[in-house]
Formats: sequence, C-alpha cells, structure tokens
Amino acid sequence: MPNQPAVLDAEAEAGANASARSILSGPVASSSLPDWFREQQRAAWSQFEGMRMPVRKDQPWRFSSVDRLDLAPFRQPSVLTEAQRTEVLERSRALDKIAARLVFADDQLIDSAALPDKLRERGVILQPLGRALVEHPALFRKHFMSQPATLGSAKFAALHQAFVTSGAFLFVPRGVEIEEPIEIFHWLCGDHAAVFPHLLLVTDELSKVTVIEHFGSLSATAPGFACGVNDLNAGPGAQVTYVCAQNWGKHVRALQMNTTLVDHEASALSLNVHLGANYSRFESLSRLTAEGARSDLLAVAIATGDQEFDARTLQDHTSPHTTSDLLYKNALDDRSRCIFGGLIRVEPHAHFTDAYQKVRNLLLSDEAEADSMPGLEILADNVKCTHGATTGQIDKDEMFYLRSRGISPAVARRLVVTGFLNEVIRRLERPAISEYLHRLIEQKFVQK
Amino acid sequence: MNELSVENLHVSIAGKEIVRGFTLHVPRGEVHAIMGPNGSGKSTLAKVLAGHPDYEVTQGKVFMDGEDVLALEPDERARRGLFLAFQYPSEIPGVTIANFLRAAVQARMPEGEELEATDYYARLYEKMELLGMDRSFTSRSVNEGFSGGEKKRNEILQMAMLDPKYAVLDETDSGLDIDALKTVSHGVDSLRGPNLGILLITHYQRLLNYIVPDHVHVMVAGRVVRSGRKELALELEERGYDWAREEEAVMAR
Amino acid sequence: MEKETSAVDINRNIGDFAYPEVHVRDAGTGLTEKTIHYISDVKEDPDWVREFRLRGLKTFLEKPMPTHWASKDLEAIHFDKIRYYLSTGTATKRSWDDVPDDVKRTFERLGIPEQERKFLAGVEAQFDSEAVYSNIKKAVGEQGVIFVGSTEGLKNHPEIFRKWFGKIIPTGDNKFSALNSAVFSGGSFIYVPPGVKVKHPLQAYFRINAENFGQFERTLIIVDEGAELTYMEGCTAPKFNTATLHSAVVELVAMKGAKIQYITVQNWSANVFNLVTKRGLAHEDAEIKWIDCNIGSRLTMKYPSVIMKGRKARGEVLSIALANDGQHQDTGAKMIHAADETTSNIISKSISIGTGRSSYRGLVQVPKHLKNCKNNTECDALLINSSSRTDTYPAITVRGTGNAVQHEASVSQVSAEQIFYMQQRGLSEAQAMSLSVNGFVNDLVRQFPMEYSVELKRLIELEMEGSVG
Repeated sequence: MPNQPAVLDAEAEAGANASARSILSGPVASSSLPDWFREQQRAAWSQFEGMRMPVRKDQPWRFSSVDRLDLAPFRQPSVLTEAQRTEVLERSRALDKIAARLVFADDQLIDSAALPDKLRERGVILQPLGRALVEHPALFRKHFMSQPATLGSAKFAALHQAFVTSGAFLFVPRGVEIEEPIEIFHWLCGDHAAVFPHLLLVTDELSKVTVIEHFGSLSATAPGFACGVNDLNAGPGAQVTYVCAQNWGKHVRALQMNTTLVDHEASALSLNVHLGANYSRFESLSRLTAEGARSDLLAVAIATGDQEFDARTLQDHTSPHTTSDLLYKNALDDRSRCIFGGLIRVEPHAHFTDAYQKVRNLLLSDEAEADSMPGLEILADNVKCTHGATTGQIDKDEMFYLRSRGISPAVARRLVVTGFLNEVIRRLERPAISEYLHRLIEQKFVQK
Repeated sequence: MNELSVENLHVSIAGKEIVRGFTLHVPRGEVHAIMGPNGSGKSTLAKVLAGHPDYEVTQGKVFMDGEDVLALEPDERARRGLFLAFQYPSEIPGVTIANFLRAAVQARMPEGEELEATDYYARLYEKMELLGMDRSFTSRSVNEGFSGGEKKRNEILQMAMLDPKYAVLDETDSGLDIDALKTVSHGVDSLRGPNLGILLITHYQRLLNYIVPDHVHVMVAGRVVRSGRKELALELEERGYDWAREEEAVMAR
Repeated sequence: MEKETSAVDINRNIGDFAYPEVHVRDAGTGLTEKTIHYISDVKEDPDWVREFRLRGLKTFLEKPMPTHWASKDLEAIHFDKIRYYLSTGTATKRSWDDVPDDVKRTFERLGIPEQERKFLAGVEAQFDSEAVYSNIKKAVGEQGVIFVGSTEGLKNHPEIFRKWFGKIIPTGDNKFSALNSAVFSGGSFIYVPPGVKVKHPLQAYFRINAENFGQFERTLIIVDEGAELTYMEGCTAPKFNTATLHSAVVELVAMKGAKIQYITVQNWSANVFNLVTKRGLAHEDAEIKWIDCNIGSRLTMKYPSVIMKGRKARGEVLSIALANDGQHQDTGAKMIHAADETTSNIISKSISIGTGRSSYRGLVQVPKHLKNCKNNTECDALLINSSSRTDTYPAITVRGTGNAVQHEASVSQVSAEQIFYMQQRGLSEAQAMSLSVNGFVNDLVRQFPMEYSVELKRLIELEMEGSVG
C-alpha cells in the first residue's frame, strides 16, 4: 500500500491552536473556516450551553450512567509528537485490500491513501471535512447534520457541531460502485484529549460503497472523550455498507450519533462492533424515506470490567413498502452493563411496512446487567412487525458437550460467545471485514 | 336454467388482462374440468367467480341459475350456493374449524332460526368420517399449521357441510401425495349428484383418474381453446400444453 | 352465536343509565385539607387514618403529573371540579331488602343479586363512595373468611389491616396512589385464614352514578398460608358528558403457598379516566395471577404488578385490552423478582379499532445474585384500521447468570385474504372480522374462568359491530 505524504489541512492547525483548553470553555474560532460554518458553530455552542445535562430520569437516558459524562476534565488536544505520529501510522493497518484510507489522530489528518485515479475520474470525492466544506459547500450544507438528534443526545450533537473540524467527506456519484472498502481511522492520542469525528457520506443513485471506521486509543489507559456524528445518505437504489469497530481505550467516554437516510429502493446496512471505552453511548437513527428502502441495523458488543454500552435506536418508517431489520447481540461479563433502547416507529400512511427488532443478551457473570427496552409505535395499517428481547446465559449442556471433547472451560466459553456474536457478523457478507472483526473480538478475550 | 354460465368474461388485475373472453356452461349434475398451463388464468377465473376484490371484470357476465352474480358480494354469492375450494386456503388463527363451520352453516339459515348443535355435530362427524378425518381435527384453528393434505381435506369438508349448488375446485390436487389425492377425490366424488355442478381446475391429468369429468376444457392465455370429453385430458397429458398454445396462437390471429 | 347464559353480565351499554342522586353526604367540589377532614369525620376515621390521608394529600399535591411519559390527555382532568366523596349516609346492608330502592334497582339491572345467588361466595356492591351492600355466604364466613368494606376492615380488624395497609403500594408510589391515599373510600378488605380454599369467587361491583365524581376505592386482600381465593371486580358508569375519575389502589398479599386470582372486567363508560395502581406481594411458593380485561374508559393507565419476595413465588398477568374510537388503553405489567427460582409470565393482547390506541408498558426486573428466575412476556397487537395505533414499551433488567428472560411482541392485522376466505364461506364482512378478532384473543381467553370467557367474547363481538369499513 503506498504511503502517501500526509495531506495537511486547515483543521490540523486549528486543533493545534487550541491546546490544553477544557472543552467546556468553548471552541476556539479557526480563521481558516468559512464564515457561514463558523456562524453555525457559534450557534451550536450557545445551543449546547443553553441545554441542561441529561439525567437518568429522562426517558431517553433511562438506566444510563449519565454521571460518567462529566466533560470538565477533557481538553482540546495539543499538537502530536513525532513518536505519536509514528505509532499511529504503524498501527493504522486493518484490511489488506482497500479503496482508500484516511487516518486522523486527535482530530488531525496525518495520513491518507488516496482513491485510485479511476474512481476519482468518475467523480468520487473523498476529502477531509474542512476541505469539503470549502470546495463542495452546496453538497456539504445540504447533508451535514441535516437531521435533528432525537434520541436523547441533542446537547451532545450541538457540542459536536460546535467543535467539529475533522473527519471525512465521501461522495459517490451516480452508478459508481466501489468494490473495496474505504477505511477511516480515528485515534485518541493525548491525555484527556477530546475528539469530534465526523463522517458525511452521500451516495447518488445506484451507487455502491462500503466504509469501515476504526476508533482506537494509542494508550490503553489514557482517559479521553469522543463525540462523533455520522450522516449517512443512501440515494435511490444505492447500496451502503457501514462498519464501525469501536475499540477506544478503557478510560474513554464516548458518544456516537449516527443518522442513516435510505431513499427509494436503496439499502443500508450498518454493523457496529463495540469493544472499548468505559462508557459508550451509541445512537442510531435509520429513516426509510421512500418505497422499497431497506435498512439492516446490526451490532455486537462484548462488555467486560465496569464497561457500559448504551445503545439507542430508532427505525423510522416514513414511507409505505419499507423494510428494516435490527439484530443486536451483547455478551456481558464482570460488572458490565448493556442497555438497549430501541423503537420501531411506523408513521401514519407508512403501510406495508416490515420491521423487525431482536436483542439478545448473554450474561457471563452474576454482576453483569442487561437492560432492554424494545419499543414499538405503530400508526399505520398492514404492517408486519415483531420484536423480541431475550436475556440468558450459556447453556450448561452446550458447555458440557464442549468440555467432554477436551476443551478447557475458558476456551469453551470463548467459542460459545464468538459463535453467539457470529450470527450478527455473518450478515455482513464481507469475509475480509468479518475476519478482521473476529480478530478484534479474539483480542478482547486475550486482554481479559 | 340450472347452470353456472360464464359469458365472454374479461378480467384484469392492475391493468393487465388475464382472462380474455372466457365462456363456459356448467349445468348442475355435471363435472367440468378446466386444464391449462401455469399462467393461463385458471386460478384468476376461480377467484373472480367467487368475487375476489382484487380483480376487475372489464367485460362479460356470470350467471348462476339465471341470476347475475357479478353484482353480488362474495358472501352473498356463497350463500346462494357457490363454493370455492381455494388453492391456498387462508389461516385463521385461533378460530376452530368447529366454530368456523358453525358460523358458516348458521349464515345460511333464515334469520331468527338457530342451528341445532347436536344435529350439526352429527353431520360434521359424518362428513369427517367420509374424508377420513379424526374428530380432534375440529378443535384445531382453521388451516393453522396444517399440512398441504390437511388443508385440502379441510376445503372438501367445508364443501360437504355447506351443500353448494356449484363448486369450483382450484388445483385441489396440488401438493398432495397419492394417498391424500385418493382420499380427497373420493370425498369429492361422493358429493357428485344431480344437484351439484362441479368445475375442476387442474394442471395435471392425474386428478381426473379419480374424479372422472363429463367435459374437459383446455384454457390457454385466458380463454378456452378446445373442449371435449374426458379423453381430451389424456390427449393433453400425452401431447403437452405446447400443442394447446399453438391452437391459442391460431385463435388469437 | 353462543347460547350459554353468562354469569357476569357485561356489555357496553348495560351500565348506561342513572337514577337521580340521593346523596346525604357530599364533600363538595375540589380537594383541600377540608375535604380530607370532612371524609374523616363522616367515616369516623381513627387518628392514624386521618394523618395517613393528610400525608397522602401533601404527596399528591407535590407530585407532578406523569405526562413526561404518559398521555397528555391526563391534563383534561380538572381536580378542582371533581367531587371526592358522595354517599347516602346509611350503613352497608347485609340484605338486598334493606338497600334503598333506587340503588337496589341499579344493581338488579346490572344482574348482581342474581349472580350472587348463582355462583358467588360473597358480594360487595359499591355505589359512588360507599358500599351499599356486602354479604358473604354463611358457610364461607364460618371458615373464618373476612369480607368487608375497607372502612369496616380498618376499624374491626386493625391487627391484620394495619400490618399490610399501604405497605405494598406506598402512598408516594405515584401521583394517583397518593390521591387515593388521601380520599380513599370503599373497596374490599378480605382475609382468608391459613389453609382455607374459597371455592367460589368473591365479587365486588363498583358503580359510579354521579356526575363530576371521583371514585377512590381501596382494596386490601390477605390470603394466609396455603389458602386460595378468586376475586372478581366489575365496574360501570353512565355516559356523562363530563370527565369522571376512578383511581383505585389494590394491594394483595399471598402468604407462603397461597394463591390469589384477581379478575377485572373494566367496562367504564367512555368519559371515565381510569388510573389504577395494583400490586401483589407473593411469599414463598405463592402465586398471584392478575386477569385484566379493559374494554371501557376514556383513558386507562394500569400496570398490575407482582413482587415475588419468596422462593419459588409465581406471578402472572393475562391481559386483554380493546381500544375503540377515542379510547386509549395504556396497560401492561410489572414483575419484580426478589428471590431465587421465581417465575413470571405476562401475556398481553390488544386490539385497536378506529381511532383507538392501545399501549403496552412492561417492567421486568431480575436483580443480581438471584438464581433460576424466569420471565416470559408475549404481547400481541391487532390493528383493525388505518387510523388506530399501538405502542409497546417494555423495560427489562436482568442480572446474573442463572436467569432467563424473554420478551416477544408482534403487531398484525386481519388480512384481506383472510376476510375473503371467510366471505366465500358465506359470512358477512363484519362477521368475518369479528370471528378473526375472537380468534386473536381465543388462546388467552381460554385461560380465563368459564363465566368470563364466554361473556368477554360476546362483549368483544358487540364492540366490533360497525367497526368494519
């Protein structure tokens, strides 16, 4: 893979200027950004300041350990050291075959593998956000955070918008199919650093693309804060696959708010793998806006120690003849906790909707806790809609069977858990990515 | 005139014409078979006769004993004596066969008259015996979890209980093994008589070994291309439908 | 279709009549400390009850309306326009002959005395705020079973009453339990001694006759070790143009090995806000089963609960809700597992017709260090036409490795093919629809006592009439 020279952009400098300021003292205005964007950021910051912190009593935050979201200690990151850069570059390797790669560390773009010329000639655009908002303002403004955050994190979405300078913009024009995945890395490097990753993906008619995002920390133990937003747009007939491998360090507090809009005859599949962070809240809204749209929402989580994964989802059917299918699986060990709050909403007139939602929790210890809130709001007719939530543990007979074949209890447990999670990962139908995700999951077992 | 007559029937669904000038007369006491390849419009014909709301009759008439039935609701047609044995009978969760049939029999009685439960069950059990059905069958929900054979037997049981004047059997042989086919055919055969006209719709000739028809009609592309006696079925079996398709092409010219 | 005569005569219109009011005791409109003192004076409450009421009022006033999660329709209740206590001022009678004529006629029209003769072990009939009639079959009384109104219970059986009263549902549990604690009147107090299995059901019948009125009965049932009881309640009110409030608190205690089956057929008229708190405490090996049918009311909010405190305790909620035009049935269940090997089961079926809305809210909790607890939840919703709505909001918390919890929900509708199939057999569209709906609830209704299942099916059929097309 050619290691292209770093494309340094405006936002890298912006990040550097703001070193060591607590994020609660507000963003530092960057002179390199267009006025309209800076105005939006100012507005977002006052919105953030005007809203109260959520509390557990708020319905969208039920069961959640909101107290872990104390933002005071987190700072805008300083300039990366040479050693950090080198390490990031070394560790930013995941898949063998990719179409392109962007690597961000502490919100600074430090490396990229550009798109093949063939794709660039056909009009595919992959740029850091800061450049896209200058070069493609119309596309950018149309899609950037176009949907309000309705799953509880409006305050954090405002925080994100106030601070965001970094992230990727990807546009796939009509009819262009990109076979190999596009890889994006986001690293937390500095102590108590705060990052605000963003992915703005716009696909035009009948295009096809796969994006995989990796979230990780250089130091396994350094505290950090990540507050990301993704806008994923599947145009008419487009096929969008989005994979997220969340593997932040163990003292990181993370929030991720994803919105997927699925247009006529388009399909969007997202697979989110949650392994890292101390507290990770993940909001995923999938809105099916025209007939024939389909959305698959997949996630797996392995929670250990005192980790808490808080997933909130909305499958929003606003058009008739749309389909959504959600499958979330969590394996919980030690004193960990997984929360699932999901809603299927079928708007009036969105008849002939098929919507499914399934959550499975596997409890591996007496202290682990699974909270499930699978919800339905059906306001239309001729709807096929089911949801299910189960919580259980490893079947004793299954364990016995494996052990009778000479397998140790620890290995047997690992086999059963990976098998349990496999059902989800298999749905991706991208063997190379699945294999990579399996490796990550195996590593999590080794760490334990 | 005691017959079911279909005159120059044209039927469309979602703007596409499926039945294109179909004509047929089935007097009571006779068994007519309609044979045809897949997509010839056989099942559409069956549903239209019963009044399925998805289909639009664009032209033609259907009479039952001289009465125009096209203006009638599906249940009115049924109460006047038209029965359709469905190719794919619907499941009705939670409603037992006993209760369902009881409601259907009651619906045919004059207002204010109550069905006598003991007579009803006596008749039900008699018909079930005829079809080799176990009595426990009556407490199962209609068609829910039924095998293919059970579904078809259930259709014929209902036919026996409801005493129709005209019965349309839509692919009643499909999905049946030979034993089930024999039982079902035997059931239908036992209901034959001067007061019942039967229209058998089938793709294969083998059903006609057990229910021997008086007349056979070949349907291709939405109309009858040839009619004859029972021997026509054998001829069709030997020569296949391509031959019939050619005839249709000639007619269409 | 069915010829069986019913035991519990309910249909949507049978309750729609009212006799002129004959109230001698009237606490007036609105709710202040004065109202509380009036009620306490009339009822000759002991001091502890008066204080309990005053504390209830304070809590009620402090607590906000739960509109942040519940229906905004609650805001249509004007607490200052409601009358909180109305009675004839006469003592509860043991014989129907002694009940005032108008009131007696009311219950005769509802068929209560007839049912009592036929199959009940005892009846209590409440008219507005007080029980006008209460009687228990001699043989049952001789076994030591106590079946009286709550006022009589707290006065004559303080040793049992005070031990449990307000313990299962504390005053501050929610705004409406606080309201009930302030102004409660009527309801049943039942005690079944150890080992006594009451063969026939005890029945309470709640009747609202007055306009702008709130009924706040309070029921406390204690079934001692190894004893068994079935309790049934029915309710009706005339169709007034103004909103009526019904806000009961029901506490059940099942001691070791005891069994309680509590059956409700709620058929309030469509102007009634029905906001009820029901909870049972099940000790070791005890079983509490709520059978809850909600057909009437404008808005019902009711989530019967079981706290399984003893090993091997069992909790069950079987519920059917039917939301017709303008109605919102917001029902559900709570299962709190607090001991090993406890099992709970929730089956909820709802039908939404026209502009009706049904919601399921559930809570299942299995805290840590418990072993071999099981919960099974099934909720199915049926939609009849496109303006109806259904919601499902369960919350399930499970800890520990010994427990299994599963929740399943589905939403479906009667399909056009299904209706056509039945029409082809000669049933009208309306009959076909009615049959399908009955089929939907059938497997659940079959688990109800016979007298109820027949009538309930008929009731649903009546409700379905005219809902097609």
